[in-house]
Amino acid sequence: MAVEEPVEPESHGVKETESEPESAHAGVVFEPPPREGAGEEEEFELHTGTIRPSKAPDAIEFIDVHKSFGRNHVLRGLNMGLPEGQISMIIGPSGTGKSVCIKHIVGLLYPDEGDVLVHGQSIPSLPDAELFEIRKKFGVLFQDGALFGSLNLYDNVAFPLRQHTEKGEEEIAEIVNRRMREVGLGGEGTKMPNELSGGMRKRAGFARALVLDPQIVLFDEPDSGLDPVRTALLCELIKEVHSEHGGCYVVITHDIMSARRVAEHISVLWKGRIVESGPAQELFASENPFVRQFLSGEAVGPLGME
Amino acid sequence: MPREWLSATGEIGRFTGSIVRDVWGLRVFRFFGEALRQSGILIISSAAVIWALMFVLALTCGIEGAYFGISLGAPTVAGQFAAWCDLREVIPYAFGYMMAAKVGTGIVAELGAMRISEEIDALEVMGINSVTFLCATRLLAAWLVLPFMYLIGIGGAFLASYIAVVQQVGAVSSGGFLLLFWQFQNPPDFLYSLIKAMVMATAIVLVGCYYGYNASGGPVGVGRATAKSMVLNLILIHLIGMLGTQVFWGANPRAPIGG
Repeated sequence: MAVEEPVEPESHGVKETESEPESAHAGVVFEPPPREGAGEEEEFELHTGTIRPSKAPDAIEFIDVHKSFGRNHVLRGLNMGLPEGQISMIIGPSGTGKSVCIKHIVGLLYPDEGDVLVHGQSIPSLPDAELFEIRKKFGVLFQDGALFGSLNLYDNVAFPLRQHTEKGEEEIAEIVNRRMREVGLGGEGTKMPNELSGGMRKRAGFARALVLDPQIVLFDEPDSGLDPVRTALLCELIKEVHSEHGGCYVVITHDIMSARRVAEHISVLWKGRIVESGPAQELFASENPFVRQFLSGEAVGPLGME
Repeated sequence: MPREWLSATGEIGRFTGSIVRDVWGLRVFRFFGEALRQSGILIISSAAVIWALMFVLALTCGIEGAYFGISLGAPTVAGQFAAWCDLREVIPYAFGYMMAAKVGTGIVAELGAMRISEEIDALEVMGINSVTFLCATRLLAAWLVLPFMYLIGIGGAFLASYIAVVQQVGAVSSGGFLLLFWQFQNPPDFLYSLIKAMVMATAIVLVGCYYGYNASGGPVGVGRATAKSMVLNLILIHLIGMLGTQVFWGANPRAPIGG
């Protein structure tokens, strides 16, 4: 992907968030001030930057985040709030930095500029010990499940409990078996990860992500590599588990079907910035040509192959 | 190019330093169970093959020594030759080679696979320090198991040299061989030999951890990292072997090396 660097990455219109991080809280609609210097912003002309209130405080906030890998400028002034207690989706074309977002939330990557707040705590400035502590709030489902290849399913799901709690084996067995049944893997505990299909690995990863009752669950493309029926089932599962346990769920995807199915809040990401974000119904009714094209999956529109 | 080497060396130093600090600072004992599991894996999957190479090269030491002694017209010299060949040089190298080939590359492949399948990220996200959990436990396991494994291997090697000189070639009597064999080594030599082998083992485990943990670029990247680790390990094994000989036996009055 050829990335044209904006001439002045700093001056893109939402600068006030740097001095007042609180203003990025959802509940405050903030329209960026009119942009000067249209030339430098040409490639962002479709980014309205509109953030509609989600009627819930933000669990996770990105404040003017920049991140480059070598010459590849992936996040270019990302401002995004993900509301508490809802299933949020970050959607956008491939290669726009969606997975990079998740890695910033859990502190696996640090922003070059800007800040990432989780429940008001700045992740990049936490010392290691506190970072490891705050990570217990998270459950993460990685793209391929990221199960430990040397452990069987049961031990994989039990792993966080054994490491982080003082629970006895009986209690652990009860929790693990309940979680495995929840994701439809009851009785498969003795299988090794390489004996499973991709969908089963994802479900097992989901069970493992939930086992410590996390307040925030992150899903990195839960639908990649799954057939439509499996995707639908996994989406139902996510919805079901969320309605039972609550918390802030963040799902990264480029699959519009799953977005329609589970999203309560949608942020559309493109070229390292938010095009538009807000409650799902409002986004599906958006007038923005980019958002409309992407959400309807049409070939004609502002989004090309470049 | 030299600049890149310098920065790579610094990077390796920083990373391996943090592993050693995790063991030294006893942080690794949070995961003592994992360290014991790694110890078990080391014994079950690597001990036999390491001993086998040590045994075979000690046979070679015996055979070379026996014919060397015969050609000098002093067959008992085989005892002295085998003593030095075994304890000082060839057996520590044999240990290092097989450690690098079996254990070192194994660590690179295992950690590299974990890296590219995001298992290391998953560990981190679960709030577990992955360097301590994956690398420090392996170093601790090596330190717990390998001294014993090495000393047993030395025993096997002595037996192998005895078999080659006394039983196979048969130019020296058992008593004649053993007299010179024991005369040309003393207890501190065992300690020196052990130190040499343990420094090699430590370097191999650390190099393996570095290349595995920092692997990138998919399965090809892991393969490339494995190859690189083997090259670096072979260089380090010989550097450590050479320096060890100089330091421990260089000033030995009976046979000064380089003095």
